[in-house]
Amino acid sequence: MSERHTAVPGDAAQLPALLRFLQDFWREFKLTPAEALAFELALEEVFMNVVMHGSRADRAPGVKVSMTVVDGGVMLTVEDDGPAFDPLSLPAPDLTASLEARRVGGLGVFLVRQVMDSVRYERRDTTNRLQMTKKMGGLSPAPK
Amino acid sequence: MFEIRQGVPGEVSMSGRLDATQCDAALKFLNEMAELKVIDLARLEYIASAGLRVILLAQKRCKAAGGGVRLINVTPAIHDIFHYAGFDQILDISRAAG
Repeated sequence: MSERHTAVPGDAAQLPALLRFLQDFWREFKLTPAEALAFELALEEVFMNVVMHGSRADRAPGVKVSMTVVDGGVMLTVEDDGPAFDPLSLPAPDLTASLEARRVGGLGVFLVRQVMDSVRYERRDTTNRLQMTKKMGGLSPAPK
Repeated sequence: MFEIRQGVPGEVSMSGRLDATQCDAALKFLNEMAELKVIDLARLEYIASAGLRVILLAQKRCKAAGGGVRLINVTPAIHDIFHYAGFDQILDISRAAG
């Protein structure tokens, strides 16, 4: 079985544990080290979005992360039980704005779209599910 | 692991991983410098949007004070992220040699 998963509370302090999970997966399936960076970035951005948007007053959301070796690539799935939130609905940042007008937020999901080949959001019952895949071939991603 | 340290006056180097758990400390360090001119990223292995925010805020502060930050020795993987984010339009970025 080429899938591994883990579950953590949606708390920023869990980020190092998620990184270890990803790195263990990478070693176990002997994937190219240089290609881990795109997944590390996607996992951090998506997880931190859940931490920021998914917390209700009384509790942090539960977050499930799974990684799967698929045909010609790797799939990363992040699920949380927070309020419905589609990160792909966020407007793209204005990359032509002057330094003074440049906003300091909003870049995360945009970067995920750049480094992944496909990103899909789905609301299933009480769960937000973001599924990302990237082909692996030892090539660095081309700017889109 | 992430480390930020001051070298010659006005110049800092960052190494390791500038992720969301490190950005507050990095921002505090940069904000406490009297005059920031150069950030050496030769040994920076990873950056995400939280780290980009640190660099953007540092650049805004320096520009407002009449200066500006130069990023030097930027490795290809980190340069890709700056490029995706459009930072090559608003910052002076030099790649690592080779």
